[in-house]
Amino acid sequence: MSVSVAGARSSLRRHRTWLDPRPAVLAAVLLAPASLLLALIVIYPVGRLVWTSFLQLNLTSGVPAQFAGIGNYVSVVQDPVFWQTLKNTAIIAVVTVPGALVVGMTLALVANLPFRRRWPVRLALLVPWALPLAFTGLIFAWFFNSQYGVVDDLLRRAGLPQPIWFNSVVLAMAAICITTIWKTSSFVALILFAGLQAIPPELYEAADVDGAGRIRQFVFITLPMLRPAIVVAMIFRTITALQTFDIPFTMTRGGPGDATRTLAMYVYQNTVDFLDLGYGSTLAVIMFLISMMVSVVYLRQIRTQA
Amino acid sequence: MIPRGVIQRGAPLRSIAAFLVLVNGLFPAIWILLTSLKTESELTRTPITYLPVAATLTNYVHAFHDQPLLRYLANSLIVASASTALTLLVSVMAAYALARLEISFRDLALAAIIAVSTFPLVTLLVPLFQTLRALGLLNTYVALVLPYTVLSLPICTLVLVSFFESIPVDLENAAMVDGSTRVGALVRVLLPLSAPGLATAGILAFVNSWDEFLLALSFNSNPAYRTLPVGITLYQGEFAFPWPEISAALVVGIVPVTALIILFQQRILAGLTAGGIKG
Repeated sequence: MSVSVAGARSSLRRHRTWLDPRPAVLAAVLLAPASLLLALIVIYPVGRLVWTSFLQLNLTSGVPAQFAGIGNYVSVVQDPVFWQTLKNTAIIAVVTVPGALVVGMTLALVANLPFRRRWPVRLALLVPWALPLAFTGLIFAWFFNSQYGVVDDLLRRAGLPQPIWFNSVVLAMAAICITTIWKTSSFVALILFAGLQAIPPELYEAADVDGAGRIRQFVFITLPMLRPAIVVAMIFRTITALQTFDIPFTMTRGGPGDATRTLAMYVYQNTVDFLDLGYGSTLAVIMFLISMMVSVVYLRQIRTQA
Repeated sequence: MIPRGVIQRGAPLRSIAAFLVLVNGLFPAIWILLTSLKTESELTRTPITYLPVAATLTNYVHAFHDQPLLRYLANSLIVASASTALTLLVSVMAAYALARLEISFRDLALAAIIAVSTFPLVTLLVPLFQTLRALGLLNTYVALVLPYTVLSLPICTLVLVSFFESIPVDLENAAMVDGSTRVGALVRVLLPLSAPGLATAGILAFVNSWDEFLLALSFNSNPAYRTLPVGITLYQGEFAFPWPEISAALVVGIVPVTALIILFQQRILAGLTAGGIKG
């Protein structure tokens, strides 16, 4: 058999045309477009970003680019708005990453219950996942509208005070965090739901026989078996939380003042509004470094799982 | 998950839990649909109404009339379709090489793909803005199609590699013994068998492009090239937010992707298990 296949292969080799190259050549051809795109859209821009971060380059000034050394980095460290936006970004990450984990876990556990028809609950996880972040921000801005919003109405019915959410530093941030948790918990739930379905039912049956209760089963079977899925979901959530832009932009535009402006919004503002590419690049490099630290942890976790 | 004896006793509790999950997941979309059917005077009335008193489609007429909403919809469809097609082409090629050809740096390439998938998009904002501006490519479709292709390339390649590897290689070998070329075996044997995997990768790429906001806002702010999220966010009216039109426009933007999801919900779940994706 192996002889005949080898014979067939060698007979094929004689008829090679440009449509039938050697595997090594074919591999190079097939990987070329992906490599080219990555070089053009990721590697070259990142190189240019790092270079620009050392330049004094503002397109509105009309002055040509000048080498500024670490001047931009010094300015960033002395910039109170940078620290404010870094703090806002950190608050959003620290609140919404665990928040989305708790809500997402609850959703996933419910979705994993033995229902006769599973599609409605599945749909209830998929619709928020596919809803654009910008749409989510707009819809929740309407929810939290201080006069005509449904939140206001529910608070009134419950006899509670009805604040003007977006005028308050704390409440504006709270509204953004609630919205972010709602939106991102669906992603966490889908990842955890897939993880739950991969747990062999025999483990629970054995635990039943041993008389372990539901809570013990959750702690000693479900949680350890879900660990890889939890790690993947948490790291991706952390990375996306550090880049938070769409929800605060659509809900508050960063206000009141700079109270809900994130680092990504500050990069956008410097680049697109002020055309200060040097300063915008420096901020982006700092975001890149923070994000890379999380990615390194992520890649390590993946390696230990494999 | 649930011990057998508990199922009967827990049934009502289960229904309540399912109901809460449904409300949580679907209420925002349903609420914006109800909002879009109310008249402006009903929307600015307190206490607010829940169901529309007299349902009307006036807001939809205004949404399309006051702003080029049809243009935004077309732009979103063009950009998402073009980048999905390009992503599929490039990721099928890369995934075939990684799954079927013996490459010495295969593991390194897969690690690089995962690394790129965690890449912060904001980092690309400044240099791409700089380059596109210099080349006069701001406010073009290309400005978004290429970055969106790169955005979805990692997840689509990972989905397709794992899908290709789940298909026995014998079928392609048989075709090659019968005189087919490698490329012929890929196109005529592997790709038809991979239709579900291609659908999964395609939907993930489409949803990624459909949802993207930061680059679309930064590169294509000209109304003629705005995508739906940018167009709707920048709706201007007499008030800060013209809610009647925005709600109608949002429904227009939510319907296409929701339809995709209802049609392909099984495939999307399968794709999500193939690796973490951004959310």
